[in-house]
Amino acid sequence: MKAMPEHDDRLNATAIRTDRVNKTFRQASEEVHAVRDVSLAVATGEFTALAGPSGSGKTTLLNLVGGLTRPTSGRVWVGGNEISRMRQRKLAKFRLQRIGFVFQAYNLLPVLSAFENAEFPMLLQGIAAGERRSRVTALFERTGLAGLEARRPGKLSGGQQQRVAVVRAVAGRPAFVLADEPTANLDSAASDSLLDLMSELNRDLGVTFVFATHDAKVMDRSRRLVKMVDGAIASDELRP
Amino acid sequence: MAGRSTRYLREPAWRVSAKLALRSLRLNVRRTILTAAAMILGGGLLIFGFSLTDGGQEMWIREAARMGTGHIVIERPEFRNAPRIENRLPREVHDVVTRALASPAVASRVMAASAQLGVRGLASSAAGARPVKITAVVPEAEAGLSTLDAKVTAGRYLRPDDEARAVIGVRLAASLRLEPGSKFVVQSEDATGEIASQLLRVAGIFRSGVAEVDQTTVQVPLQTADGWLGAGNGVTNVKVVLLHSSLVPETVAALEEALAAHILEGNVAVLDWKTANPALASAIALDNFSGSIVRVLLFGIIAFGIMNTVLMSVLHRHREFGILQAIGMSPAQTGVIVLIEGMVLTLLSGFIGVGLGTFLTWYFFGDGLDFSGSMDEMTFSGILLEPVIVPEFRTGRYLQSLGFILVVGTIASVYPALRAARIDVTEVLKFDR
Repeated sequence: MKAMPEHDDRLNATAIRTDRVNKTFRQASEEVHAVRDVSLAVATGEFTALAGPSGSGKTTLLNLVGGLTRPTSGRVWVGGNEISRMRQRKLAKFRLQRIGFVFQAYNLLPVLSAFENAEFPMLLQGIAAGERRSRVTALFERTGLAGLEARRPGKLSGGQQQRVAVVRAVAGRPAFVLADEPTANLDSAASDSLLDLMSELNRDLGVTFVFATHDAKVMDRSRRLVKMVDGAIASDELRP
Repeated sequence: MAGRSTRYLREPAWRVSAKLALRSLRLNVRRTILTAAAMILGGGLLIFGFSLTDGGQEMWIREAARMGTGHIVIERPEFRNAPRIENRLPREVHDVVTRALASPAVASRVMAASAQLGVRGLASSAAGARPVKITAVVPEAEAGLSTLDAKVTAGRYLRPDDEARAVIGVRLAASLRLEPGSKFVVQSEDATGEIASQLLRVAGIFRSGVAEVDQTTVQVPLQTADGWLGAGNGVTNVKVVLLHSSLVPETVAALEEALAAHILEGNVAVLDWKTANPALASAIALDNFSGSIVRVLLFGIIAFGIMNTVLMSVLHRHREFGILQAIGMSPAQTGVIVLIEGMVLTLLSGFIGVGLGTFLTWYFFGDGLDFSGSMDEMTFSGILLEPVIVPEFRTGRYLQSLGFILVVGTIASVYPALRAARIDVTEVLKFDR
């Protein structure tokens, strides 16, 4: 295989690219191949779902492209930057600037209010207070969270927490958002509402979303569906 | 709401860590109180221990000074090893000492001073003869300095107009079968090197509680000894008791400055209590050393407790640290949160503990902690130790205690901070965790 450069401007239109990525874990005395030889490119502005049963490797792949874990072999590029060999500190900064995360368990910081959670990545980015306030206020209005700014996560419903998590993920204007089973803990109405919100953000603001999911609704809404089985890509289809 | 939030979270980097740490401490009250309790207890015990140790040691030094050599003693360099009349202070040196003690710089630190003529001799009565230490004193000056006058159990202490009178120890009185009003004879080498005798009448008998003192001490008026031994108004030493032992170094320096010429000529030496009473100095050094070991052990245990609590809190908050790192906080910044939490907590707890320890010690034991029920008369190095220890609070000890607590708290937070920094983000963010 031809070696790819660490930075390549031609890849800039591609939000994410993996090249024959493998991830192996050791569990007890056994080696588990969570991701096998995955090569995938996601273009800027896509609304893509990685689907598959539990253990198919979709969350691991999401973690690899999110820079939360390193591949055992292969390479990962994000916006033209190879992140698979980045040093820990640089990777943390890269995640801060370029990647938004939405987790299944919402994962808001319990000691911060909804507003503070939403603005936190921007605070780390060093964005001025006025700008932070303006962005979060606008997103809270848009996502129906206005009036809930001062509440701590424990005082919000699951759907509201996940909306705050989405605002937190997009407010810093990352290159793309990785969402791991974002609807798994939500009831049907909250799930629909959240998907509406993310579709809108994708359509109106051009935010790139990549989901790991086994929720049929998410798959239905996605415009590209990548199915994984046993750590490998089984199918990759564009949807109308 | 937005305004409040942005006011709170405004700065990046370590300030963000600090603010998260403070917020976490404030919102996790139970955990904060649990961890703080260990440090408060430690701070309280530390100041209690320090104040009692300092109070006890100051009492030893004060008693030794009043019953023995003073906080400072001024004498000829030879006198310590050869306590004979020929080694008395030259008259002009004594005059300089008197003037120096009266100077404002020194006088403000001095509680009492007493010039003495000390010689060894033999006391005899019809019942026998005993070797004794004869100390000639100015009665009113000695009474203001020594506690011997208060320990007279029969008869009375010396008066300024007394001639050929003596106060003697209770054991000496028993062995020579003397009582107030009895006569006995003392013999010693006089200023010319001849043996001279003096008939004395017992004015009073004291009981110091120290066997050696009660067996060998004879106190007589200075004017009686002067005539008997032909000392020519000379004294062998001047004993100085200060308001507090901490004033010794600067007072020694002031006296040495006043006596510089005579010190250079080898006519006089200014000795502090540590030099004059090395056995007591060693005992206090030993006491400090053993106290330090106890404190280190105590704080080792407390540090372990704190580390456990902070570590448990870190383990409990793995997900929180995972989120922080996932959204872009560096591992080091995450560790700094825990470190700041530990440092802030221990500093605040230290202040509370030291304050509380001071208040409780002062409130319950301000008049002294009485050990008389658990110990008999205890003597050491020629002094009777009082069974009541009055705690003493020193500014330096507060700084020392707070510094110690902060160091212990910080060290105890380092390992949990490293654990927080080194978490596996993907592991801790798994939903079923």
